[in-house]
Amino acid sequence: MTQGLVTGTRLFVRYAEVGLKGRNRFFFEQALIRNIRQALAAEHAVVERSWGRILVRVPGDPARAVERLRDVFGIASVSTAQATDKELVSLETEAARVAAAELARRPGDTLVPFRVETSRADKRFPLNSMEVNRRLGAVLLPRFPRLRVNLEEPDLTVGVDIREEAAYVYADRTAGPGGLPVGVSGRALVLLSGGIDSPVAAWLSMKRGLRVRFALFHSAAFVGEAAKEKAMDLVRILSRFQGPSRIDVVPFADVQTEIRKASPEPYRTILYRRMMHKIAERLCGRHRCSALVTGDAIGQVASQTLANLRCIDDAAPIPVLRPLLTYDKLETIALARRIGTFETSIRPAEDCCTVFQPEFPVTRGRVDVCREVEATFDVDRLVVEALKATERFALET
Amino acid sequence: MEGAVYLDNAATTRCDPRVAEAIGRTLSEDYGNPSSVHPLGVRAGRALRAARETLARALDAGPANVFFTSGGTEANNLALLGFARATRRHGLHVVVSAIEHPSTLGAVKALEEEGFETAIAPVDEKGRIDPDAFGELLRPDTVAVAVMLANNEVGAVAPIAEIAKRVRSRSPRAVFHVDAVQAFGKIPVSIRALGADSLSVSAHKIHGPKGVGALVLGGRRRPRALVFGGGQEENLRPGTENLPGIVGFARAAALAIETLEAEAARLRALRDRLWAGLAKHIPDLRRNGDPEACVPTILSLTFPGVPAEALLHQLEAKGIYVSAGAACHAKKSSLSHVLVALGLDRAHVNSTLRFSVGRFTTEEDVAVALDAVPAAYEGLRALASKR
Repeated sequence: MTQGLVTGTRLFVRYAEVGLKGRNRFFFEQALIRNIRQALAAEHAVVERSWGRILVRVPGDPARAVERLRDVFGIASVSTAQATDKELVSLETEAARVAAAELARRPGDTLVPFRVETSRADKRFPLNSMEVNRRLGAVLLPRFPRLRVNLEEPDLTVGVDIREEAAYVYADRTAGPGGLPVGVSGRALVLLSGGIDSPVAAWLSMKRGLRVRFALFHSAAFVGEAAKEKAMDLVRILSRFQGPSRIDVVPFADVQTEIRKASPEPYRTILYRRMMHKIAERLCGRHRCSALVTGDAIGQVASQTLANLRCIDDAAPIPVLRPLLTYDKLETIALARRIGTFETSIRPAEDCCTVFQPEFPVTRGRVDVCREVEATFDVDRLVVEALKATERFALET
Repeated sequence: MEGAVYLDNAATTRCDPRVAEAIGRTLSEDYGNPSSVHPLGVRAGRALRAARETLARALDAGPANVFFTSGGTEANNLALLGFARATRRHGLHVVVSAIEHPSTLGAVKALEEEGFETAIAPVDEKGRIDPDAFGELLRPDTVAVAVMLANNEVGAVAPIAEIAKRVRSRSPRAVFHVDAVQAFGKIPVSIRALGADSLSVSAHKIHGPKGVGALVLGGRRRPRALVFGGGQEENLRPGTENLPGIVGFARAAALAIETLEAEAARLRALRDRLWAGLAKHIPDLRRNGDPEACVPTILSLTFPGVPAEALLHQLEAKGIYVSAGAACHAKKSSLSHVLVALGLDRAHVNSTLRFSVGRFTTEEDVAVALDAVPAAYEGLRALASKR
């Protein structure tokens, strides 16, 4: 009857925190399944839920699908499992097969410490977990002389999962990125600068379940197209982790010129940032985002002192998330390399023209000064005009 | 790009449609391998020979002395590395000018790692080389000398024939290489008249295709090859010949030589009008290089008090494309070694733009630039000075 459907290769997806979320569990699982489907759309995958696990059938190369799943937040680990009926002899056959495949990946004749680990969700199965472990061990040991039982530090673990619909046997385990499925925590707008930090901040936000939209403040006539190209390329890279992504490119030359003319030099950078946040807050309203995300780290540059962050946060009534607040630059760089944004981030393209940069930026900005200076020019008009001329792009990898 | 005012012809040029047509025909019809013996191969061989002859004529060299490469960089590398390695038993000393192209300076750096010693000849504030001062650096054990005919950033033309005389008398064993990439097609170039042993040229600077150039030799001396293979180009540069590129190069060279005199006069007039017009509106404007000895195409200008990058982008926003220094530097944050060699300080180097005209530059283009540059400069100047 369903025999033909049951057997074959499945990707056995485990999720960590997702499983712990009480009543929200269904919601989280649905989100994770949706994200897995999207990540594997090109692989024509069939994604199903099975109590506490997600099972994926792919017609093509499972290795490619596993590779894709390493970028799906919420996944703790993935195994390539062989599905089989629940006859003991079938379990033995599959266990021997996966063990042989794994041993083939460890060439030479060194001994391989191993164990069998069974989980029995279907309690009607006649043997309990321990009994299955012993039974399979007894079958595998004589067939593969390199195997030595080692329950404490196995190098090879043959996993068996006996479930309602079928049993699954596997011996590999690829770590997922952890975190929460993109989308479950809501939406946020990332202020992308083109540097090293903001893409990492975006990635960390996605890791905690945020779906992010991007905004670039672009003074085209002063920094050229390269800065925009770079930002778009970064968004393309980051869309690997959340699917197709949107970026708003906000023209910023007029704002910068106005501030350049009207403000005391040391305050310029803070005032640019305040204008960015005012505009970004409006974009959030438009696109249903509930927070801003920036790449700020405390004290990294002059605009990122605590006093200045306070001045910036005063600009708009919206939470500003700063995932890198406590990161050292080297930690951020290491993460950027892992994510794959580093090489693009260091591409030469100025994000702020030197004519706008103050020689000696203030390090202890005062909120009242910021407000006073802003009272001397038409903030609302600048915000509205920037929003009106904003370009939107949808990008994917 | 349609409608753009392209004033960056020293970086590269638009391929002439007649050249593109010749390339297309070679790609789809004369696609044989010149080494093949069947009729297609024979035809390809004939086209290759014809191209070689055209290049030889254009540079006053023997056809047997034209060796096609992937471009100027490879030709400079082949000359410097190849000749120095071939003659190292005579000495380990190399002399180059301070304003050579990175492909020459890079090759020299590689030679230093092989034990060679380098003397860098200075230039004056206009980018000029004094042949006598240059001669002082030459030694009996000097084995390779390289000087560019026209500089790519400021356009200065070096007194090659004079330098050649010093090389012959003071360093009789040395090979004298001349980088003619920016000069070829813009001023008459004869390897005999220059007294050089080798000359590098590139197609894409003369409205030809990218990816093809040549090393032209003056006599019987041969550099040592850098790549090894099936014997093409007398084994000096083996690998199946880039025939479409070579045919395009020859066509581009022929077109450039045919009209050289009239075109040079036209370009010089355009460039000088640009200079005069800008100088009138921008009193502080400084022209770099030597107006007395300069290729007709290049105008290097320093806009004091304004970051060149910003001015470049302001012009770009108006559809006018120029370079900050050479295109090769534009993406690096390091200072142009050429402008530094001319004695410009950091602020001036960072305020320098290069305008370069070419075959498709019109009077209209110059008028557009004359209209836009002063305004952009004034705007930035006002922003930049308000501290």
